[in-house]
Amino acid sequence: MATARSTPGGASRGRRAVWVGAAAFAVALVLWYVLTTLTGVIGSARFPSPPEVFAAFRQLALDGYADGRLHQHVLHSSKLVLMGFAAAVTAGVPLGLAMGWSRRVEAFVNPIFLTIRPVPPLAWIPLAIVWLGLGDAAKVMVIWFAAFVPSVINAYTGVRSIEPYLLEASRMLGVRGWSFVREVLLPAALPHIFTGLRLSLQASWTTLVAAELVGAALGLGKVLNASAQDIFPAMILIGMVFVGIAGGVMTCTLALVEARAAPWRQG
Amino acid sequence: MSNIVFDAVTRVFRRDGKDFPTLDGISLEVRDREFVAIVGPSGCGKTTCLRMAAGLEFPTSGRVSVGGKEVTEPGPDRAVVFQQFALFPWKTVWDNIDFGLRNKGVLEAERRRRVGDIITLMGLEGYESAFPHQLSGGMQQRVAIARAYVLDPDVLLMDEPFGALDAQTRTVMQEELVRLARKNPRTVLFITHAVEEAVYLSDRVVVMSRRPGTIREVIDVASVRQSENWDRLERIEEVMDQDSFVHLRTRIWKLLREQQAPNDH
Ligand SMILES: Nc1ncnc2c1ncn2[C@@H]1O[C@H](COP(=O)(O)OP(=O)(O)OP(=O)(O)O)[C@@H](O)[C@H]1O
Ligand SMILES: [Mg+2]
Repeated sequence: MATARSTPGGASRGRRAVWVGAAAFAVALVLWYVLTTLTGVIGSARFPSPPEVFAAFRQLALDGYADGRLHQHVLHSSKLVLMGFAAAVTAGVPLGLAMGWSRRVEAFVNPIFLTIRPVPPLAWIPLAIVWLGLGDAAKVMVIWFAAFVPSVINAYTGVRSIEPYLLEASRMLGVRGWSFVREVLLPAALPHIFTGLRLSLQASWTTLVAAELVGAALGLGKVLNASAQDIFPAMILIGMVFVGIAGGVMTCTLALVEARAAPWRQG
Repeated sequence: MSNIVFDAVTRVFRRDGKDFPTLDGISLEVRDREFVAIVGPSGCGKTTCLRMAAGLEFPTSGRVSVGGKEVTEPGPDRAVVFQQFALFPWKTVWDNIDFGLRNKGVLEAERRRRVGDIITLMGLEGYESAFPHQLSGGMQQRVAIARAYVLDPDVLLMDEPFGALDAQTRTVMQEELVRLARKNPRTVLFITHAVEEAVYLSDRVVVMSRRPGTIREVIDVASVRQSENWDRLERIEEVMDQDSFVHLRTRIWKLLREQQAPNDH
């Protein structure tokens, strides 16, 4: 059944897309090499050459940079993101569901929610620093605010977009209480909930890097900040690449979890 | 004893600040274990009537009661087959059918037997673990019907339950429903656009006028079925060939034609 959409034409088109993508990558790499190392059109103070980037990678991975080695920075940043994200969605998703389900909860929560919602997450940084200092707790708090809003909004939307006749069917079938939440409300809202989780995760990474730029003991944001101060473009690039990789891994993991949690949406 | 009584029921919907009288003085009793079909022009309020019996909609004035009790909320004693199936997309065929029994607290072993039986009856074997979106429209509709039958309800409320079926399956399902209704009679309110289906299945056919819906006429089919002994005939096409059947059908057709708005061809 999963094959329903991948017709023979579709499959070969998919394979061709992979090749085109790989070719584009190859062209970019060659161009990069030609423009930097080979001809020096772009000076290495502006953009690093491939060997420089590789050297920076080696240095970060083996010797360490900005008070830590690559895996320490990655793990530290990931840990903060996961903590803030998890705390935000365990509060945000149930709140969104409750707001979507109960007019009373919505009436009570909405004014507060609408007030904090337009505040960009990064604007919380100064307050977080004043409250919690430059340590990890402040970062988790800022991530929490960033991840909270999308998880609430999408869980809310998920409940609101349940087909009315499904609710009627569940009343007819006598579903009540916790069983209704688990077997009707949650699965019905699940696609929207996962959209919210994805947005929350992205917001978490954005916010974390920004927060670490302001000041951190360890983390990819610290790598970026230190390398900017050292005018070390190759290290900046490595920092960026690993922010992308770490965020990408988490997003992919989330997609796997979604496929597991919502098997009926496959194929 | 589970009859359905509509007592001088009216319903006015408000839309854009205007009143839309939809039902205008419906009085009807579907007797215990009687099979009543409603036919009428689109938008005349058939679904609204059925929803009132289900407890999903309420009269503006008048009273709807089932088994002598005013209807205040839905419940598994009045199983509904919805016009849009309303299957749970995240539940398999088996779990969709099983869900109502589970909520009623029926024991596991009995549930397994009843769900298994109904799946066989509806020709859904082999699809127990399929999700609704993996089924054809006709099969989805059979799951929706199975989900209602399996509850063994006092009252069955069916809103165009065979609408999405192809002609062959539809015929099979009609014969099946008749067999079921004879074997294990229950109170059925059945909405359809198909006049022949209405005559074939029901004890009485209610013809409604166009909006605001009133009852134009109630046609007694059961007495004709008995006096002409339709039940001796095995197949639906044999019944439909009877002069008595054709006569009733044509009469209902004419009544329906009169309800057609002049600009509504
Ligand atoms: N919740 C509602 N709010 C406003 N108007 C409604 C509502 N429910 C039904 N109506 C209106 O009431 C009228 C009757 O609707 P109903 O669904 O009962 O018709 P029906 O006879 O079942 O039609 P069909 O044969 O097309 O299914 C329609 O004009 C519809 O627009
Ligand atoms: Mg209808």
